[in-house]
Amino acid sequence: MSLEIRNLHKSFAGQVALERIDLALDGAEFVCLLGPSGCGKTTLLRIIAGLLAADRGSIRLNGRDLAAVPTRERGFGIVFQSYSLFPHMTVAQNVGYGLAIRGVAPARIAERVAGLLATVKLADFGERYPGQLSGGQQQRVAIARALAVDPALLLLDEPLSALDARVRAELRGELREVQRKLGIPTLMVTHDQDEAMVLADRVVCMNRGRIEQSGTPQELYEQPRTRFVAEFMGHSNLLTPDWLQQAAPSLLAGMPADLRAAGAACVRPERIALTPDAAGDGRVVEVAFMGNFKRVRLEWRGRELLAEVSSALALQPGDPVSVDIAAQDCAWVMA
Amino acid sequence: MSGHERHDERALPGGEEEPMTAAPLAAADRWLMRACLYVPLAALLLFFALPMGFIAWRSLMQDDGGIGFANYLALLDTPGVWQATRNSLGLGVATTAITLLLAFVLAYGMERTCMRGRRFVAAALTLPLLAPSLVLGLGLIFILGRNGIVGQLLGIRPDIYGFHGLLIADVLYALPQAVLILRAALRCADARQYEAAEVLGATPWRQFRDITLPGMRYGLLSAGFVVFTVTITDFGNAVVIGGDFSVLATEIYNQVSGQMRFGIGAVVGLLLLLPAALSVWIERVAAQRQAGIGAESAQPPQPRIARGRDGLYAIACLGIASAICAVVATVVIAGFIRLWPYRLDLTLKHYDITVSGGYASLWASLAVSLIAATAGTLLLFLLAFSVRRLSGWPARAATLLATLPVGVPGLVLGLAYVFAFNEPALPWGALYGSLFLLAMCNFYHYHTQGYVSMATGLRAVPAQLEEAVAVLGGGVGRLLADVHLPALRITLWAVAAFLFMRSMVTLSAVIFLVTPELSLSAVTVMRLDEAGFTSQAAAFSTCIMAVVGAVALLLHRLTSRCRVP
Repeated sequence: MSLEIRNLHKSFAGQVALERIDLALDGAEFVCLLGPSGCGKTTLLRIIAGLLAADRGSIRLNGRDLAAVPTRERGFGIVFQSYSLFPHMTVAQNVGYGLAIRGVAPARIAERVAGLLATVKLADFGERYPGQLSGGQQQRVAIARALAVDPALLLLDEPLSALDARVRAELRGELREVQRKLGIPTLMVTHDQDEAMVLADRVVCMNRGRIEQSGTPQELYEQPRTRFVAEFMGHSNLLTPDWLQQAAPSLLAGMPADLRAAGAACVRPERIALTPDAAGDGRVVEVAFMGNFKRVRLEWRGRELLAEVSSALALQPGDPVSVDIAAQDCAWVMA
Repeated sequence: MSGHERHDERALPGGEEEPMTAAPLAAADRWLMRACLYVPLAALLLFFALPMGFIAWRSLMQDDGGIGFANYLALLDTPGVWQATRNSLGLGVATTAITLLLAFVLAYGMERTCMRGRRFVAAALTLPLLAPSLVLGLGLIFILGRNGIVGQLLGIRPDIYGFHGLLIADVLYALPQAVLILRAALRCADARQYEAAEVLGATPWRQFRDITLPGMRYGLLSAGFVVFTVTITDFGNAVVIGGDFSVLATEIYNQVSGQMRFGIGAVVGLLLLLPAALSVWIERVAAQRQAGIGAESAQPPQPRIARGRDGLYAIACLGIASAICAVVATVVIAGFIRLWPYRLDLTLKHYDITVSGGYASLWASLAVSLIAATAGTLLLFLLAFSVRRLSGWPARAATLLATLPVGVPGLVLGLAYVFAFNEPALPWGALYGSLFLLAMCNFYHYHTQGYVSMATGLRAVPAQLEEAVAVLGGGVGRLLADVHLPALRITLWAVAAFLFMRSMVTLSAVIFLVTPELSLSAVTVMRLDEAGFTSQAAAFSTCIMAVVGAVALLLHRLTSRCRVP
């Protein structure tokens, strides 16, 4: 399977929703479209599903242009945030729905449904109605229903967002497991960067209708190319070249030559090493205890920094600390 | 294939109005979608827009064959019309004032007190809806008329015909509709506002003045206009109990049926559109404002027990409810009495109706109501289903067209039908005098209420479900069969029952359309009463109420049984 999107544009009443989108999906990849509300990620998913038409650009599935192919003939599977099961059908009927549409024999459907329900750990729930299931169980049914038709592509539209934290974490793991096992190429929309990092082979970070950066979760976290990606993927300290010139010139060593004025060095808080030191030139401003670590705000050479340290380290507001940042921990971001 | 209205709406603040570039559809689906939209739209144009065009055209057609405003000018020289207008306005204002007062007491008693007998009051308030409006007038005559039970007991001959009788009958008729609106307004208040006021130290009177009344102002306004419109356009009571007190509804009937002055009739008909249109507009504005007030998570206030207040409300509400019951019950009883109110032994002889066509009109009414209910429900469903898929100006235009009929009083619609369809030369003239045309007239008379119910029901269908069907490979047929029909089952039955019941009892729209060969039950009641066969009229009314009541009960059973899927 290969899906190729080229130069896609979409606007609503003059407002640009998607701009110059290029994206390719291969093999059994799990790709996450990540971005804040309104970045266009859901619009992109809906265009791929055929629920919306693009203004310009092309989408090809295995080389075939999808522009004129109606949703129902694309052969995809989709899971929404919620409310997408048929309330008057049993769980088994829901899961078998796509197969029934395709005219598969009832015996064959029953067999397939039983297998899928076992896969999503709902083997004994076939005769129940959606109204009798919890939110997490309903989403499992929705996933099974999407998988039943052997979709060329599985589309997930914030499938875990309506669930509470514990169920979300559990289902996240199962979703990944099922996707790996069945090897179905998957595209998921989410605004939760933790979710994206845990699930995705590749994260596509979007902002204002454009793709900011695409890569493995680790690449996006450690080498963000833009200020937006740096700030969206977890906490960061963005250090400007002007300030570095004054405060820590040694860190400028890795700066690329073409960095523009608005560029900066991104340093993740856990890469800043703090040592309690009476002679240190840093001063702790605030300490937040997070359980497994402490998040520390401190003053250092005329600006504020955010650092994360082991919760075993005893620090109080006002304590002097020495600060150590390695040049290789600076990722240089554009504007 | 669905999907227009929901894109990532967070992407675009205020972006609901954007013209959607529709997703591609399979060819068969495209044709099916078109049929779903164009069939009900064509029917709406033929059976509503076309007749309304005809009545406007007729008002301009002069007796000398020219086109102009002669009919409008002639109105100035028709003193009867002016007298009728004055009477109608006076009656409308008086009815509105009294109805609002009583309706407020009833609505407040049912929503905000713990009084006993709320179910009885609610049941009593449905009675006037089960019968032709003139049944209330009929009942009042049996009680307070020259040969009424009160006069008989007190040895006097009261005169109920005219303003006072009409006032009481109209109040009783309009009361249930006003209570419905006011109860809805009271229900969308938020308990937390009262709790906040309580904590801040506001007395109950202050809470009523500062929270309850402001929250209800649109409800009151809307109820007031509805009552006013119902009053000045009601025909049944004016005929039965109005006596010499002429109102616009009877005047238009006399001009057309009595004096054959069609041009004047058309002008008066258009005149009657004004208050109705105004009331519809006010109601819309009110609905929008009201929607802004109630927060999504509003909790309706739960009344607490207050013996003194509850008792007072119980006395007032039960009194009003009993009065309604008494009037309707009197009609039922009078149908079984040999000679009301002089010989009170029971008899079934009034049910042996041979005059005025006998029971033929009851069967005709049943047939018309069944057609109106089935065809109407189907057309409304298809229209609401396809309008949901439109966006931008076509959606607004279709919605407007679908909701316009509520602004047209029955009498005006009936007259418009005469102008449009009593024309043998025109292609649709063949429909005149058929059951089908009567059914369509009744359906389009109540089109808006049905459409609103249908659209509300459809709004509860999650868009994700429709999209899931499309992605899984289902077309429009699957969408209808697996998503909308199951989700709307109760709504469909409710709309069908509503159309059936209204069609069984309505008089004003069909009064111009009945022919000597084809009459309807409400018309027969009127004719029997006019001819002096009041006991037979009562018996016939009882038959109508029995049919309508049975359907209402059936619907009640159905909706209470299958609340959850």
